[in-house]
Amino acid sequence: MLEIKPIINALLRSKVGAVLLLIQIAITTAIVSNAAFIINDRINYLNQPTGYEEENIFKFNVMTFGTGVDLIQQIELDEDRIRQLPGVVDAVQISAIPLSGGGSSTSFRLKPVPEKSKSVNASYFETDEHGLNTLGVNLIAGRNFTQEEVVINRDFTKYPNVALATKALMDELYPDGDGLGKTIYTGDKPLTIVGIIGMMKGPWMKLEERKDKSVIIPMLDPSKLHQFLVRTESGRRAEVMTQIEDLMHESYDKRVIQDLTGLDKKKADYVAEDLLMMRMLVILISVLVLVTALGIFGLTLFNINKRTKQIGTRRALGARKSAIIKYFVVENSLICIAGLVLGVCGAVFLGQQLMAHYSVPALSYWYVAVTAVAVFAMSLLAVIGPAKRAANIAPSIATRTI
Amino acid sequence: MLKMNNISKVYQTEMVQTHALRDFNLNVEEGEFIAVTGPSGSGKTTFLNIAGMLEPFSSGEYLLDGIDVGKLNDNQRADLRNQKIGFIFQGFNLIPDLNLYENVEVPLRYRGIKAAERKRRIEQCLEQVGLASRAKHLPQQLSGGQQQRVAIARALAGEPRFLLADEPTGNLDSLMARQVMELLEQINRDGATIVMVTHDAELARRAPRNIQVVDGQLADFTLYQGKPNVAVGA
Ligand SMILES: Nc1ncnc2c1ncn2[C@@H]1O[C@H](COP(=O)(O)OP(=O)(O)OP(=O)(O)O)[C@@H](O)[C@H]1O
Ligand SMILES: [Mg+2]
Repeated sequence: MLEIKPIINALLRSKVGAVLLLIQIAITTAIVSNAAFIINDRINYLNQPTGYEEENIFKFNVMTFGTGVDLIQQIELDEDRIRQLPGVVDAVQISAIPLSGGGSSTSFRLKPVPEKSKSVNASYFETDEHGLNTLGVNLIAGRNFTQEEVVINRDFTKYPNVALATKALMDELYPDGDGLGKTIYTGDKPLTIVGIIGMMKGPWMKLEERKDKSVIIPMLDPSKLHQFLVRTESGRRAEVMTQIEDLMHESYDKRVIQDLTGLDKKKADYVAEDLLMMRMLVILISVLVLVTALGIFGLTLFNINKRTKQIGTRRALGARKSAIIKYFVVENSLICIAGLVLGVCGAVFLGQQLMAHYSVPALSYWYVAVTAVAVFAMSLLAVIGPAKRAANIAPSIATRTI
Repeated sequence: MLKMNNISKVYQTEMVQTHALRDFNLNVEEGEFIAVTGPSGSGKTTFLNIAGMLEPFSSGEYLLDGIDVGKLNDNQRADLRNQKIGFIFQGFNLIPDLNLYENVEVPLRYRGIKAAERKRRIEQCLEQVGLASRAKHLPQQLSGGQQQRVAIARALAGEPRFLLADEPTGNLDSLMARQVMELLEQINRDGATIVMVTHDAELARRAPRNIQVVDGQLADFTLYQGKPNVAVGA
């Protein structure tokens, strides 16, 4: 009954309104698909499993200004006192705090320097045998190191010879999965891997190549500024945290306690920027979608008002109301499809640019497809009201207006 | 073929009620050519719109080819308009974004006529109005008289038995007006019934039957099958 050809011909003869709409649809598709992809990427990033009970762990720094105290002895004493607090699961002095954005990393190799060998960058934590339990991460193979294996670094003559490593690191160094018990090297120092840890995020959540790769080295090498990590029983963290400062000062008071913070807060600070960016993107998308919907609605309304007399004439010539509705829906769909074709190309191009210049991962084409379908559905929704209005234009308009 | 009994039409606006037609009675026989005249605002267009089912009427009875129009729903009226009635408007009402061929095609598409048959009819009608060579032109590339001839071709394409024209020459100079009139006379000779509203007394005189609408009522100057159809006399 209604064919597409005359609609296309008519569109080609008066393009302006249609082209505006088409461009709007194209831009929306290009931006929304990329933004949605980035948002999802950010959500995955923010919600990535860390391996920690973040809400039960806290950290604090100790800045010692008093002299004449044996730091190592004091630390062992502090650890003991904290561990005895009711509600505490375990506590330890540790060289870096996970999820905090600050830590150390180095290369781990299959052979000592200067031999040529595979080398993988990973973060490392120096702590004692309580580290594993305080972090609360899972040992999936092998064993923890023992108290005897912990090197207490008084004179820099000794270096540990065992370590724990995460599965992600071991999988990379030993793709065959036979890394347990093997020796890896930092520089020329050998470390035999006695235990493998499942999921354990390092200090950094971003850098894809090392965020899951960590090594725990049994060593105590404290400086005047050192930090403690404490894990409590569920729900008792706040109560424990309030006691820390007094507890520490009771045993030695020529020092200050700083940055007494929950691990979840540490992580939130670290990802605050990403969260902000994600929220901005969500707002951007919402505004764009709203503007497009209004644009489609407005342009269709405009197109219809412009053609009131024509619609009346068509009705006078025998068009049923349904034919008028169909006309506008088909016309809108044609514009929309053309806009989507352009928009999909734009989305792919934009994705490539973002990947090239802003280290955004490669755009998944699913996002483009789903966005295209959603934009199409939205344009259908936007046109249906104005089209119905058009169908209700009285045929007598044909004779009543000049 | 067209029979109106006591048709009245009231326009209700916020402040006033306008009785555009009052107890309007008319009989039109197959093959007639009727010119409708009357002062401005007397109800001529209203009458034509009701005859063409473009507007509902307030009361009375209207039979078109024996069909009681008052009982039809919107789709049925649209279909009936498409099949039986050809409209010619003062402002031509060609669709500006469609070329002449596509303009003439519009009512044929609504009737669901096949492409080959559409082509045959469009070419024939454009031929009849002398514009076959300009089928690909857009309306704005034509003079007013030519545009009105396209509109007539469009009205003819569906082979309607009934042509309604509201001041078809109102926007044309007298030469073009005469050409259009000649075309309508030709169409009438070919068998179509024509009702034409006009302000042009000269053109009206050329029509075999003249009726006048005054204040929403009919004054017929011709004796109709021996019975005067007079409500308000001259
Ligand atoms: N949609 C409407 N709403 C209200 N009043 C209307 C409407 N259409 C027409 N009228 C009124 O109905 C009366 C008849 O109008 P109509 O258009 O039929 O006159 P006409 O004889 O065609 O006049 P003209 O020669 O100027 O075209 C007029 O008084 C007009 O103002
Ligand atoms: Mg009028």
